[in-house]
Amino acid sequence: MRNRTITIALILAAVVAIVAATRDQTRPGVPQMSAAGETAPPVGKDSVKFLVLGDTGTGDRGQYDTAVQAWKAHAVFPYEFAIMLGDNIYGSERPQDFKKKFETPYKPLLDANIPFYAALGNHDDPNQRYYKPFGMNGQRFYTYQKKDARFFALDSNYMDKDQQAWLEKELAASNSKWKIAYFHHPLYSSGATHGSEVDLRTIIEPLFKKHNVNVVFAGHEHFYERVKPQGGIYYFTAGGSAKLREGDIRSSNLTAKGFDTEQSFMVVELDGDVMRFQTISRSGKRVDSGEITRQNAGTQ
Amino acid sequence: MTIFKSVSVVFLSAAILVGCQRNAPESVNAAEVQAKPAKPAAATAKPRLPTDPQQPASPSPATVAPATPTGQPAANAQGSATLEFHNRIKEYLKIHNEAETKVPNLKNTNDPAQISEREAALAKTIQTLRAGAKLGDIFAPEYQPYFIKIVQDDFATRSAAARKAIIVELPKNMKVDINTVYPTTLPLATFPPMLLRKLPDLPPELEYRLVGRSLILRDVKANLIVDILRDVVPTIPS
Repeated sequence: MRNRTITIALILAAVVAIVAATRDQTRPGVPQMSAAGETAPPVGKDSVKFLVLGDTGTGDRGQYDTAVQAWKAHAVFPYEFAIMLGDNIYGSERPQDFKKKFETPYKPLLDANIPFYAALGNHDDPNQRYYKPFGMNGQRFYTYQKKDARFFALDSNYMDKDQQAWLEKELAASNSKWKIAYFHHPLYSSGATHGSEVDLRTIIEPLFKKHNVNVVFAGHEHFYERVKPQGGIYYFTAGGSAKLREGDIRSSNLTAKGFDTEQSFMVVELDGDVMRFQTISRSGKRVDSGEITRQNAGTQ
Repeated sequence: MTIFKSVSVVFLSAAILVGCQRNAPESVNAAEVQAKPAKPAAATAKPRLPTDPQQPASPSPATVAPATPTGQPAANAQGSATLEFHNRIKEYLKIHNEAETKVPNLKNTNDPAQISEREAALAKTIQTLRAGAKLGDIFAPEYQPYFIKIVQDDFATRSAAARKAIIVELPKNMKVDINTVYPTTLPLATFPPMLLRKLPDLPPELEYRLVGRSLILRDVKANLIVDILRDVVPTIPS
């Protein structure tokens, strides 16, 4: 009887060990980051610092845990504002849903007067643009300036001619050092569930190239992926700040780094001609980080 | 061998017959357009962005009607359909605008209840004003083949994988009805941008959406389904 108990315990321990080992294993062709410390402080004195959250509005444990880490990160990396990559509120959008899926998890940030600037996702009622805390000022797509960086929040759900014309005009008019675009659907993605939005890419990528957009953030895919520069532009997918599609990153030549075993968010710093980014997991570990030099560095 | 030949002939005939039936609405439209007085091309041509690289320099033969006996270019089927569509949109906007005057203005607010209450009030007012609304009020039946052709031609240009990628994201098993609220718990599937370029422009109050196999017109502020064109989206081949 005693021997049997020991045997069962040994088998269970072996199973647990195998599962844990498999979970951390790097899949062939998908460069995964292992945890490398925690959030690091910003480097620049007068840099633009912001938080990147994507696909947040579940109101579940995944969102809340990640939100706690985002607030903890603020103590070390005092970001000044947050961008949201869409799917801000999943499912019903009653007043209590806004509370549960946005106001409560991000209460510390809202209390600290950290403004949010949201883009619309396919799960969002476009009338969210009238919800003041989302910072959209009644617009489906809009632009704003933060020091020497101009941000373009787009509505990738409905890329009509009005929006294209607006984007072309605003990009052309901007002399900012950094041009950052963000929206819900990734132009490049190794996600098995969705993948790259080729249609959208056909339309807006030429504008990005023509007008020197530096960096693009997107959500929709519930994981983190840093894509190898495409046409000189850096693409990040960060749609895993609440939902997670574990193991959804396919092996592809697109991926520079991928992380799909835990929820995550990003903190970013624009410091002169350099952008520094860190990707932090739900458990507070830094799973990717790096430094990008602006493509047209040395010029305005 | 003889049996085989007979069966082949039967199948071939059936295929030709089906092909003729599919083309029938377009042929009828072309005939109707020829009978109408000619209109200046500029008045009927669909406005395009000058930078639109997807549009051919000249219209495709399928959309051009022959010249009238006077030698003037006839209004093409696409132009007529678009013109009629826009006229009907204008009529709808009158109702929308009237409804807007009967509900409080929508302003930026910290209170999401104000947004949802206003959306619901606007929808209810429009529903009342359009109590007799029926399918085809906007997508006029005689021009529906034009819209169907645009959607189906667009899908035909896509690879099987690209078609599937669009179709799998569409809300399914969802009952859509004219003059009803779009279910707020369901996603609004991304509208394929290249297809959007090919459809007639809409004012900001309205948008196209795909639901299941239907093309719907949705009132953005009221979240209301204004009209539906059913069985437009092709199915995924098994």
